[in-house]
Amino acid sequence: MIVLVRKLLRDIWLALTIVCVLLAAFQCLWFKVTQRICGELVPLITGLSRRGGVDSSMVQNVLFGGPGKILRTLMGGERIELDNAMDMLSIGFVHPLVQTILCVWAIGRAAGAVAGELDRGTLELLMAQPLPRYRFVLAHLCVDAVAIPLLCFSLWGGAALGSVLMGPIEVRDLPEPARKPAYLLEWGALKVRLENPGLPAPSPANDTSGRLAVRPLAFGRALFVVGGLLFALSGATIALSAAGRFRWRVLGVAVLVALVQFLINVIGQMWDALECLRPLTIFYYYQPQQVILGSNWTVGLGEWNGGQPLSRLPMLAVLYGVGALGYGIALWIFCRRDLPSPL
Amino acid sequence: MLLRTEHLSKHYGRSSALDDLNLTVERGEVFGLLGPNGSGKTTALRLLLGFLRPSSGGAWIEGHDCWRDSVAVRRRVAYLPGELRLYESMTGRQLIYFLGRLREAIVEVDLDRLARRFDIDLDRPLAQLSSGMKRKVALLQVLVPHTPLVIMDEPTNALDPTMRDELLLQVREARKRGQTVLFSSHILSEVEEVCDRVAILRRGRLVHLQKVSELREGRLIHARFDGEAGELPELNGLRLRERRDGWLTLEYTGPLPTLLAWLAVQPLTELRMEPLGLKAVYHRYHGDNAEA
Repeated sequence: MIVLVRKLLRDIWLALTIVCVLLAAFQCLWFKVTQRICGELVPLITGLSRRGGVDSSMVQNVLFGGPGKILRTLMGGERIELDNAMDMLSIGFVHPLVQTILCVWAIGRAAGAVAGELDRGTLELLMAQPLPRYRFVLAHLCVDAVAIPLLCFSLWGGAALGSVLMGPIEVRDLPEPARKPAYLLEWGALKVRLENPGLPAPSPANDTSGRLAVRPLAFGRALFVVGGLLFALSGATIALSAAGRFRWRVLGVAVLVALVQFLINVIGQMWDALECLRPLTIFYYYQPQQVILGSNWTVGLGEWNGGQPLSRLPMLAVLYGVGALGYGIALWIFCRRDLPSPL
Repeated sequence: MLLRTEHLSKHYGRSSALDDLNLTVERGEVFGLLGPNGSGKTTALRLLLGFLRPSSGGAWIEGHDCWRDSVAVRRRVAYLPGELRLYESMTGRQLIYFLGRLREAIVEVDLDRLARRFDIDLDRPLAQLSSGMKRKVALLQVLVPHTPLVIMDEPTNALDPTMRDELLLQVREARKRGQTVLFSSHILSEVEEVCDRVAILRRGRLVHLQKVSELREGRLIHARFDGEAGELPELNGLRLRERRDGWLTLEYTGPLPTLLAWLAVQPLTELRMEPLGLKAVYHRYHGDNAEA
């Protein structure tokens, strides 16, 4: 079986390398984005709102109100605070682009596992050798066991590289407002001179609360959740692949199922009618932010109990359970099915 | 006996791809499976390899059930698929080594010797090879392991005449080594040339099984009469194929003098004789004048 695993790894190494680089590059870039938001934009907004006598939380409410709610949902919900570096960095794990890359990898690879070989006609060359069918499925499990950690570590590595390359996140003080001359209002013969009202001086927003501290080790825990999502998607897709004959058909079905689940999970956070369906999706159990920010490994299924936690369900158990179930179904199907001739 | 099938059948819904195949193949025998497309040849081969689960009946190779114990079966079988698809990113050598390692057996001396005989550059990527060259590489992976049974599904497809002759030579050499070769083909001449026995399939059923040596002994006799010939004599191995425009066409595998004695007393005006051959038998089932 090692021979087959090595061959399968050789087949995917280029694509795997590209995906790893993409994920790492995104995390690196996200560190820069976090640095800019937490170190520059948020202090600027906070400073400006203070000068205008407005509570800075109101500004965030306006920003994330109405259609902006979608943005907040995609970012991970209301618990995410823009001026907290760890909160912002954790968005890098649930960003739609990252989730898309993870899905494309897991589904794309697993869809071709059986149906792709059948479609290309190479499966019969392989299965003509004295190779038990279950070993073929297990070989793909081994490939997942190698590829998934690499993908997870590339996410982590990217964030760590970003922190090394970009340096610590520091607040840049708001520039002193330019002294403007007094205003002169003329209304016919009436002339009123308005002196500079004298806005309050900006207070340096120093990081006294540790909100800008970055703790890379905290991301390590989230990698188990990322791996869980990849394994769940891969397992579910390989079950479809084991039953299918054409790679593109399996790919289409798997992408459709994943997309519907993703949309239900996102829309369900904004639309109460769909909320009860969220726990039925894989993405509901993908909450690395909870692990990064609060070491909370469970989900409460509150959607089925009017917002109150119904039962604490370990997200890793669900994600890895779905993956294992998928592989189990794939084994069951593939060991019993007919292998048709290539078309 | 190396291979045995008993009432082997494969049905897809109402349609039957193979129906009640009963067959035995001996060690060291070259056995040909004949039939047009859709006659059940490939289905039979795929059932033997454990790719398909039989709807009823069973098949055994060296006593191992082809479905339940298919790994043991495939350890004893080398297979050349009819529809050939290879891993294009590999070179020929990489492919043969890869498949050899899966089989836990490779004979390197044989590989290079055979590569020279088949005139193949094993170090070129398969993606750069023509379909004929790819077929040669696939043939090598079948010939190298020296398994008790070699199954070839239309092996001479895409081969030029020289390579076709080389392949048939390799089949004969395999027989000399004691290997059994089971191969399906559309090309009657090559089956006749190399096979010890042939089976003809029609619509999933075995309709004819014969030793090729018997075919060589048989004759196709065309006789023309002045008027009506008498009733055909009751002779073993005599079969009327056609009666048309004063011509009588007979297939005969018995001793010639007895038939000639009958012809001598008929109003015979013309007589032609040719070896019976596989073609005559095949067209009995698959030609325009095929039996119903």
